[in-house]
Amino acid sequence: MSQYMLLLYDTPAAVQHFRSMSPEEMQKATEKYMAWAQKPFTKDSQRLAEDAGRVIRSENGKPRTTDGPYSETKEILGGYYTIEAANYDEAVKLSMTHPHLEHGGTIEIRQVWGS
Amino acid sequence: MTPAPETGELLEHLFRQQAGRMVAHLTRLLGPGNLSLAEETVQEAMLRALQTWPYQGLPDNPAGWLFRVAHNAAIDAVRRNQVLGEKTEAIVAELRRASIVAPSHPEVEEQLRDDELRMIFMCCHPEISRDASVALSLKTVGGFSVREIARAFLADDATIAQRLVRARRQIREQRLTLDMPDGRELKGRLDSVLDVLYFMFNEGYAVHEGEELIRQDLCLEALRLGRLVASSSIAEPRVHALVALMALQTARLPARVDEAGDLVLLEDQDRGRWDPQLISLGFHHFDRSMAGDEVSEYHVQAAIAATHARASVAAPLDWPLILHLYDQLLAINPSPVVELNRAVAVAKVRGVAEALAAIAPLERDPKLRDYYLLLAVRGHLLLELGRRAEAAASFRAALDCSCSEPERRFLRRKIEECVATA
Repeated sequence: MSQYMLLLYDTPAAVQHFRSMSPEEMQKATEKYMAWAQKPFTKDSQRLAEDAGRVIRSENGKPRTTDGPYSETKEILGGYYTIEAANYDEAVKLSMTHPHLEHGGTIEIRQVWGS
Repeated sequence: MTPAPETGELLEHLFRQQAGRMVAHLTRLLGPGNLSLAEETVQEAMLRALQTWPYQGLPDNPAGWLFRVAHNAAIDAVRRNQVLGEKTEAIVAELRRASIVAPSHPEVEEQLRDDELRMIFMCCHPEISRDASVALSLKTVGGFSVREIARAFLADDATIAQRLVRARRQIREQRLTLDMPDGRELKGRLDSVLDVLYFMFNEGYAVHEGEELIRQDLCLEALRLGRLVASSSIAEPRVHALVALMALQTARLPARVDEAGDLVLLEDQDRGRWDPQLISLGFHHFDRSMAGDEVSEYHVQAAIAATHARASVAAPLDWPLILHLYDQLLAINPSPVVELNRAVAVAKVRGVAEALAAIAPLERDPKLRDYYLLLAVRGHLLLELGRRAEAAASFRAALDCSCSEPERRFLRRKIEECVATA
């Protein structure tokens, strides 16, 4: 078994969609997300704060800190899961069942090196 | 944070119910003119829950979490929008103070119930039309979305959205407040609250194809709000009568359609499927409605529902009492629909011929021209007399009126019955 990181991006379309939902629909969606997170193949998960974060870039050999890439018009990294899967095919198959995709979100899958 | 249950399921209607009380609460703090802001803020809190709980697990007190996050979102919104002008800092301080107490604390719970109550009373202000009052109550204290209200009322989204916009504008422009009216005004407002709840309930109770769940939610919400009013100090006996009526009727909902989705008449219903808790809730409020001398329309309606609920195989339905109650109802509220219902009791007590005579004048009433129930009752009475051809004709005429699909299936079954035994 290898480990894979699932990076979940919130797209502006997904956020827009959530804002139009009723409390009842929001609850159903939350329950679905939570049920997925409880699956046996998920090993770890963290939500990232909604601020822009900081980015440090090296410019002419000097590190320079700026605010992160947060913008209303971009996808932002909302959180991540670590899951266990035999290979990329299986990791993709498991991720396909994530409700994030139903709401227009994006999931990036990366294998943890050496796992 | 504790791990969520395997299924991820939360307490049923948690978001909807918390949304209702949080909107009411924040509207008090932000002022009725900022109702939309309160609603957006609550939406934001639920969005945060959706974005956080799946990663971090369910908080120990989900309602408290939503409550705190909604207050913080309100503080951000107030600072950002600057709609409150010089009052901003005072309101921010108030929001901050309110955000640190748990909504389950008895005193806070009491306050939240009071907020909801005031909100209902504002939504049912006589300046606002009844249709708009119903929609606004469902949206604000009920936690229903525009789409859900539209579905429940078989209306389109735009119509409901417009009603809400107009109602919110009225609140702003006419400076309606969350202050409870007093004296004579309170009595009038209470009547309009009960009227709105009764209307909401009947909309949910009416028979329609599909969307059963949302309509049942409408009945349950009307019942919940009714109980909220009944538990307050301003409750009068007629409030308890309305709650009794709604509880007893809601209790019968599970038995009203069979597995095939077909209508089952009251007398043919399986009483074992009536909800016993709602029945006893109904009787509890029915008893409380007896305090004092007042006999409202709700009292008589509740008495009719209670008489039905009391009947059993061992003690058949007391039709003479039902007839007497319909006579009383007619005296309070003379309406052709009540007369039609009364005719059914007349048939049981004084015979079918007399019942047919009782509905004859109704057939000339223009208000009942396209009313399928009149023709269905007439068909039913004729069938009892063995006048099958006429009965079939009456049921067919009923089919030409507007009615729902389950009702149409019922009428077609009756026509077949007339033809088969002719």
